[in-house]
This record gives sequence, C-alpha cells and structure tokens, in this order.
Amino acid sequence: MSELVKEQIKVLIDGKECYCEKGEYLYDVAKRNDIFIPVLCRSDAFEDHRACCRVCIVEVETRGKSKVVTSCVYPIEEECTVYTQSEKIKEERAVVMALLAHRAPDSDVIGGMAEGMGGTEGFARLTPLEAGKCILCGLCVQACDSLGTGAISTVLRGTEKRVDTPYSNPSKACIGCLSCANVCPTGEIVFEENEKTRTIWKREFELVYCEECGALMGTKEMLERAAAETGVETPKVCDACRKKAMADEMMHTYRFV
Amino acid sequence: MVSAEEVARIIEAYPADRRFALAAMQDMQNEFNYVPEEGLEMLAEHLGCPIAQLFAMATFYKALSLTPKGKHIIKICNGTACHIRGAMNLVTGVKRELNIEPGETTEDGLFSVEIVNCVGSCALAPVMLVDGIYHNKLRVEQVPGIIDSYRAKDGEQHD
Ligand code: SF4
Ligand code: FES
Ligand code: FES
Repeated sequence: MSELVKEQIKVLIDGKECYCEKGEYLYDVAKRNDIFIPVLCRSDAFEDHRACCRVCIVEVETRGKSKVVTSCVYPIEEECTVYTQSEKIKEERAVVMALLAHRAPDSDVIGGMAEGMGGTEGFARLTPLEAGKCILCGLCVQACDSLGTGAISTVLRGTEKRVDTPYSNPSKACIGCLSCANVCPTGEIVFEENEKTRTIWKREFELVYCEECGALMGTKEMLERAAAETGVETPKVCDACRKKAMADEMMHTYRFV
Repeated sequence: MVSAEEVARIIEAYPADRRFALAAMQDMQNEFNYVPEEGLEMLAEHLGCPIAQLFAMATFYKALSLTPKGKHIIKICNGTACHIRGAMNLVTGVKRELNIEPGETTEDGLFSVEIVNCVGSCALAPVMLVDGIYHNKLRVEQVPGIIDSYRAKDGEQHD
C-alpha cells in the first residue's frame, strides 16, 4: 500500500470497503463509491449544504455505538461502519418523507419519493399545507445569492414562510438566469418561455440569440451582467461561434506563413 | 408621509455594515411606526446588500411592520396563564371598542392590536399592554375606559 492510502480512513458502507480523507462528508464518500443515498436539499453546486430535508440520514456505527446522522454534512473522523438502508433508517426516512409530502403536496418528486419509501399511511391526521411544491430548503435563495443577484429570499415565518421577491413584485435585481428554477429539487419555481421572452418571478425578459448560428444565448440582462463583470462588450455571437471564428482566423493566418 | 431626508438621517447614523441592518430598521419602525419601502431601498443601497435580504428580516421579526402601525400599540397576552384567565374575552372587548381584529390598525391610525405570547407576568393574568404599560388582572369591563383614556390624551394634545 502506498503512503497515501495508509493515511486514508476506512469506511464500510453497506458492506463495501471505501476510503476517504478525514473530514470528508459521508454522502460524498458514498456517492464516489456508487452507493446511493437519497438527497433533496443538497446540490453539487455548493460547498456548504442546507442540511434541512433530512432525507439523507444514515446509520453510523463507531466502536460498537450506533447513531443516526445527516450524511450530507457528516464529516468522517474515524473508521466506521455505515448502513444506508437499515430497518431503522428506512423507518425514519419514511417519516421524514411523509412529513415533506404533507408540506409539499403538489410536488410529484416528493410524492413519488414518499410513496417509494413506505407511503404516507398513518399520517392521515396531518392536514397537507396549501403550500404547493416547496420544501423550503433554500437552495434557490442560495443559488441566487451565490451569483451575486440576491433577487429572492425567504419571507415571513412559521407556517407562512415562503420564497419570494420583495413585496412579491417583479424584482429589479433578477436577471432571468433560471438558476433558482434549475437548482430546485421539487420543481416549485415556474417560468414561462416563448420565442421572444422568458418570464420568471413575474418579470419578463427579452431573449437573445446568437447572430451566427441562432442558438439561445440567454436573456439580455444575463449577457449584460456577464459582460459588465468581465469588462467586455455585450457579445453578439455565442461562445461556440466565437471560438470557431477565432479558429478560422488562426487557420487563415497559418496558411499564409 | 415619510420623507427621504428623515430616512437618510436614520440610516446614515450607522456604518455601512450589514450587521446594523436590524438596528436601522428598528429605528425606522420607531420613527414612522413601520418600515417603509423607500426605507428598505435606501438601506439596501447604504449597506450594499440585496433588498431581498432586508425584506426577509423585515417580514421575519414581529417587531417590524411593513404597513403603518397605529400610534398606540395594544398587546393582549395570550400565553397559557392569560389564555386560561380569559385573554380571548379581552380580544373581543377590544374588538367591540375599536372594531378591528388582532393584527389590524384602526382607520384613524390611533390603535393597533396584537396578540402576543407570555409577557412574563402570569401571576397577574390576564395582561394587556398599551404602549408597553401593563394593565394587569384586567376585566373586560375595564377595556373601554383604558382605550378612552388614550383617546382623551391625544385629544388634549390636539387642542
Ligand atoms: S422553491 Fe425549490 S429550491 Fe427554493 S426553497 Fe422551495 S423547494 Fe427549495
Ligand atoms: S440532503 Fe442532507 S439534509 Fe437534505
Ligand atoms: S401568560 Fe400572559 S403574562 Fe404569562
């Protein structure tokens, strides 16, 4: 064994021997080894995770003691044995999913997962919220903030809490990039698009197409923002066409040297 | 109406650092009885943060309101002790007198009514606060008198 491997921690996940560095999150180790753990509020796009849906719980056994942990944010510190599908986990995950299904009754994703994990029977006394599909994971807000846009946030609190723009008005800050809709695990964030425009968070954006090949480049605001950040002029052709033009030019030059 | 100068005066008393957002919003609440939209916009600019973040805070804290609150704030405690001792009767009494539900403000802008949780005076339940003054072991018959006394005070000031 090489020096490197010796420093690694051995983790037995569902009977499979895996190795990781100290401090790595359990979910990441499992995923790298093709072991499936369900997640909702975790996205590869971010390093810090919301850790609020609790779907990713697993059982960890260290020195004979076992505990249930949230795998997406559980850093591995020492050798341990992990069960992602033990009876206890199956049972608890089913409860978590049943609760989420009552929180977001309109979401097919959540409903499907809940069904697959044991159904929502036994929870009849809970009234589903009229809350659509949102599980309030906050990934959309995180995505928007991480891009420096900050157009949406959670508003109100308790049972009334939801994600929205300030005063539910079309946001001046929004650039129509769809990051929020793309990262949302439940499909709560809706947008409309036709050939000319895209509408999201009640605001309409003009779509821009590549002058060369006609590919969709995004909204006017997206291109302007990107251009302003890199200090270049707003592009008129898409990346692919720009590269092609550059390559053509280069070929041209070289042909004559 | 809220003037931009007044808002600016409140905001500029604080350094341009996000941790002062709540303090500035509280000052606006005290000054105007609510946090006006212009106020949020100017504060966002001053602190260099998205207005959405301030809006999240403004809607989270009960002490902040986005619509103008009344001049006098009536808080009826509905904590366990007060609830058992008939807090909801007080709510009805106040409603009879002012014709508004908890969370609302009278048309003349004089009173707002709120239901709050335990205010730490359970032995004296039921408790109602007007502008922070405790009215203890309150009977519903006393409500009109208390409200009238605030009306009268305002009347004097106007004359
Ligand atoms: S809208 Fe989607 S991404 Fe945003 S909080 Fe709700 S479920 Fe999460
Ligand atoms: S994925 Fe781990 S808590 Fe949501
Ligand atoms: S319950 Fe009203 S003061 Fe404690």
